[in-house]
Amino acid sequence: MSTDGHQEGAAVAVERLLVPLSDTVTVRQTVGYAVQSGLEDADSLECHLVVAMPYDADVPESDRYRDDAENLLSRAQSWVEEDAGTADVTIETATIGVDEYLFGPRDYAEIFDAYAADHGIDRVVIDPEYQPGVTAQLLQPLERELERIGLTYEEAPVERPARRGRLVGETEDFDRLFATFWISYGFYLVLGDPTYWFDLLTGAAVAGIVAVSLAQVTFTVPLDRVQSPIRVVRFAIYVPYLLWEIIKANIAVSAVILRPSMPIDPSLSRVNSRVRSGLPLTALANSITLTPGTLTVRATNQELLVHSLIPDAREDLFDGGLERGIRFVFYGRAAAAIPSPRERDDAEIVGGEEL
Amino acid sequence: MIETLQFWAVVVLLGLGVFFTFVSTVGVLRLPDIYARAHTASQTDTLGAGFALAAVAVAFGWQQATVYSVLLLFFVFITNPTAAHAIARSAAETGVEPLLTEDPDDADDDANTAVESEGEVQ
Repeated sequence: MSTDGHQEGAAVAVERLLVPLSDTVTVRQTVGYAVQSGLEDADSLECHLVVAMPYDADVPESDRYRDDAENLLSRAQSWVEEDAGTADVTIETATIGVDEYLFGPRDYAEIFDAYAADHGIDRVVIDPEYQPGVTAQLLQPLERELERIGLTYEEAPVERPARRGRLVGETEDFDRLFATFWISYGFYLVLGDPTYWFDLLTGAAVAGIVAVSLAQVTFTVPLDRVQSPIRVVRFAIYVPYLLWEIIKANIAVSAVILRPSMPIDPSLSRVNSRVRSGLPLTALANSITLTPGTLTVRATNQELLVHSLIPDAREDLFDGGLERGIRFVFYGRAAAAIPSPRERDDAEIVGGEEL
Repeated sequence: MIETLQFWAVVVLLGLGVFFTFVSTVGVLRLPDIYARAHTASQTDTLGAGFALAAVAVAFGWQQATVYSVLLLFFVFITNPTAAHAIARSAAETGVEPLLTEDPDDADDDANTAVESEGEVQ
């Protein structure tokens, strides 16, 4: 960690700080530290609050990110004003990286560097939990890249409120490792020969490596020791139902395609699903696409944009059979008994301009 | 007896697999735009490959290769919708407008031929 950037700060009248923000539990403390440390060394402080946009502006999700970014910036601005009190602090806010797709830590480091060069930034203050819209942990590789580029940075010394969370985190980590290990070991033995000692040994080694390296990637949501196995069982019950739906839909679509007049009726509809974003929504969108006649064009938050080929397929979609199935898998039988998207007015036919 | 039954089960399953693959090919040729074609392309993967792999499983009988064919089907069922969704989404993002019928209940062929307008579509 290099903190030498502000040693000569006393001589400089204005200290210019760059604070990249993301919505974390420690962002408030980071901003507080930035203001406090900036004012220690200089009479006046110029505080640049920036949000790096992970997606370029053409991606539909970027609207949501932009709103979140504005929101965060205005909150952060009021924090700085609050902490600065009567001191001479200028606040600049910006969203950067709007024109490009930020992929890895190097991209982030480079846009921070470009911004720093443009505005004469002395030092970057980083939130230890900094995580701009991507799932992977970014802090360490980002620090490495900043080091390489030669931008002075400092990690804000924050107190993480998650002391108890750390302890819980250990059992969570164990559960993840345990589950990943046995899933990959099982898969290895299915492909190999479970009675041959060599396969048992190499399988354990491979599963160990897989578990250590991929457990955090495989399970992004903490596992539940009771619920997760039950979900697997419920999923096994759901699969025959899904297969039956696929066969029915296949026959219906085949009949339409083989008719000489080909009475197709393509339409786009929007369905607000009642399943959590993430794995349940992915499962629902995939089930919908797997059934011929309906095709998920877009899945944003809980809103699905579905292209349907024949009216029957659209009716089935509006009746929400698959949605009930997915709710059964993830939330249990009681949760499956919800009104269909049509009844709760969550499904409508839209035009092509909705894309 | 068992052998004949197995043989005919394999023949029927393969026949069904070939039939759905054929339908899907016809569909890709006949259907008007990329979205409609994506629907029918997934038929090959679901029932076409499904019946063919079921035939393989029946032909092998109860042994390890059967487990492989079930696993294969499982992975096909995961990757197929992912690919179909990726195609549809990238088509939507590059501004390909779907052909839609004017009145959704009217199943005539004079579909509302939506004019492609590239600038405003995200």
